[in-house]
Amino acid sequence: MPTDTKRVRGPEVSQSPLLFVSKPATALPSHGPRTDGRPRDQVDVRPVFVRCGLVSQAKGSAYIEAGNTKLMSCVYGPRETERKDETDMKCGRLTTDMRFAPFSCPERGSWIQGSQDKDLSLMLHESLQPAVCLHKYPRSQIEVNVMVLENSGSVLAHAVTCASLALADAGIEMYDLVLGCAVRQDGSSYVVDPTYKEENSCSSASSENQGGLTVAFLPSLNQISGLQSDGEMTEETLTAGVRTCIEGCYKIYPVIQQALAKAVRRAAPPPSES
Amino acid sequence: MATVQVSEAEKVYILHGIRDDLRVDGRGCEDYRHTEIETDVVSNTDGSAKVTLGHTAVLVGIKADLGKPKPMLPKEGYLEFFVDCSANATPEFEGRGGEELGTELSNTLYKVFNNKHSVDLKSLCISPGEHCWVLYVDVLLLQCDGNLYDAISIAIKAALFSTKIPKVHISADEEGAKEIELSDDPYDCMRLNVENVPCIVTLCKVGHRHVVDATLQEKACSVASLIISVTQKGTVTCMRKVGGGSLDPESIFEMTEAGKRVGKALHAPLMDLLQQEERLGTKRQKVGFLG
Amino acid sequence: MRINASPSSQPIDERSTLLENMSPMKLCVPGDKLCSVEDCIPGTGVYLRHGYIYSSLAGYVLRKNEGEELPVISVVRETEAQLLPDVGAIVTCKVTSINPRFAKVHILYVGSTPLKDRFRGTIRKEDVRATEKDKVETYKSFRPGDIVLAKVISLGDVQSNYLLTTAENELGVVVAHSEAGAQMIPISWCEMQCPRTHSKEFRKVARVQPEYLQA
Repeated sequence: MPTDTKRVRGPEVSQSPLLFVSKPATALPSHGPRTDGRPRDQVDVRPVFVRCGLVSQAKGSAYIEAGNTKLMSCVYGPRETERKDETDMKCGRLTTDMRFAPFSCPERGSWIQGSQDKDLSLMLHESLQPAVCLHKYPRSQIEVNVMVLENSGSVLAHAVTCASLALADAGIEMYDLVLGCAVRQDGSSYVVDPTYKEENSCSSASSENQGGLTVAFLPSLNQISGLQSDGEMTEETLTAGVRTCIEGCYKIYPVIQQALAKAVRRAAPPPSES
Repeated sequence: MATVQVSEAEKVYILHGIRDDLRVDGRGCEDYRHTEIETDVVSNTDGSAKVTLGHTAVLVGIKADLGKPKPMLPKEGYLEFFVDCSANATPEFEGRGGEELGTELSNTLYKVFNNKHSVDLKSLCISPGEHCWVLYVDVLLLQCDGNLYDAISIAIKAALFSTKIPKVHISADEEGAKEIELSDDPYDCMRLNVENVPCIVTLCKVGHRHVVDATLQEKACSVASLIISVTQKGTVTCMRKVGGGSLDPESIFEMTEAGKRVGKALHAPLMDLLQQEERLGTKRQKVGFLG
Repeated sequence: MRINASPSSQPIDERSTLLENMSPMKLCVPGDKLCSVEDCIPGTGVYLRHGYIYSSLAGYVLRKNEGEELPVISVVRETEAQLLPDVGAIVTCKVTSINPRFAKVHILYVGSTPLKDRFRGTIRKEDVRATEKDKVETYKSFRPGDIVLAKVISLGDVQSNYLLTTAENELGVVVAHSEAGAQMIPISWCEMQCPRTHSKEFRKVARVQPEYLQA
């Protein structure tokens, strides 16, 4: 490529100016109430706002908002499979695609799906697949797309909830809804449904027992369909964390049920009893 | 993932066997297959190891490069993982077939090492904000016979143990420009502390029980597995459910407990073995790939 | 609608009152336990687990007595059910291409339900008619653009699409256009005539059942 002498070209890599701000104490206090006023060590998920059927072109869609975390999900299909192999003949294929809008995080992301997005897509797939009655859709595929509009923590957990809601809205047969919840362990205390700041801050004082955990849960079947943790935690903490997440899922269950009921009612009046 | 076809009758046979704590190859539910480890197998790397677990074979090569620290963490070096599923392992991986599995494996490895104690990243820093060591951990699958996660993690631990990073000195000239000087002595090198490097234990839920180190046949009978990476002290650095099925909370708790137990027990013999091999020094008989 | 998920507001109570006030029919979401198998026969939109019937759809719960001892319980949604072409289903399709061995079609309708997405199907030469199978010539049976009624005989395998047949009197071409572009009129089970040029063209014509004809 000929070099452009007419203008000064920007550097190949750029960084956010915020990185050069003289470092404030990034570590959030590990005791006392959280920045958004929620108490610690309690199963207190952020209030969620959910709605079905935003995208008219899609078979089903859902939007979820928890604090500043905002994401939407669309479901298309069942349609003919593009890639074929033996297993597709008996049961359908579920494809998931989760993406972050470039402006969703404090640092700008790229439009191209990075390996983090791929990893999250995979987790989403594993969390949803046990719930969908794929054997009812032979030779076809169901596409689930999730777009993160604003990342303010616990993205995967809310993506799972949102995607299952969109699937239910699309009328895809499912064994159960899938709900997601995340906890963040910080030393001896934990926070449920952490915000972006809480997820990324680490108090240097207690680095022993520190990490994040996300659980996808089928509330009616009492099954865990997705589980992922990182950081460093003892087995006891993890076990307690899983229990906390399950409790958190039950907290949002009625809200999701209600949103779905509302969507069904809005779509059509009850059929005449005959 | 490389899979095998298992008939219904075979499935029932395997399931019933596992129910009675007796697996097809005679192992108990928490036993590993025969494992072989050899370090320093590729001379062009800074550290390498080859691990065979049953018929699964992985080769890990570590190369240390000079790089720039990440802006968020100026005082630390970092690790990069790449897993290559070559068509050597199974023809399914040909072309782009192995890509998905490769990303899945490498993403999990990032998660496993995403904590402060696994590898002392501060020791990889040369000059804060400017230079650091970047360890490229490249994993090559040579043969697939189930339980890739465990084999890879053992191989990485062994390779990190054998990694020798050359010592560098920083000298500044009058104008303040810094210069990096590599030590002339090839034996003047830095070793990594691998005490806290975790090992991954994969537990496959088969029927109502779970098995460690599942073969491909056993994997075909299981709906979901749980991978747990455990350090020597028993801390869990990553836990993840893989596979298409779901698990009930009680069995997850049981599996975590078993995973921790098995993982913790894995470290001491592994370290022993590595140190023994190290002590042999040049007298060590090289086995190589056909051993 | 903003609902607080914290325990202070009690969404569970809210929901049950909503259901009682607004709709006389019960609404359910996937995973809701509806009743025991001893009370009802499972219909559509439900599944069985450990002796109970659960909902697999979000919709209205419908109990119907169909002369059996127990009522049939199903979950219905007003928006069209997720129909997929199944073996034995009568489908309406459009011919996209033909060659000496088979005709390729797009499936447009399953029964009377339009499909949202396109599914491809194949009508092999042997499956065009029931008699004299070896004398069938595809280009004397179908032309691209024809609307054909067919029956699904197989979901096909990895390489092939849905396999369809027209080997029944009631199946075959229902709408076809002549080379002049006019819609042709069937004159026998194997011929159609153009009203404009009066030229005859060969087709595997369907004898459309009178009850399917719409005025």
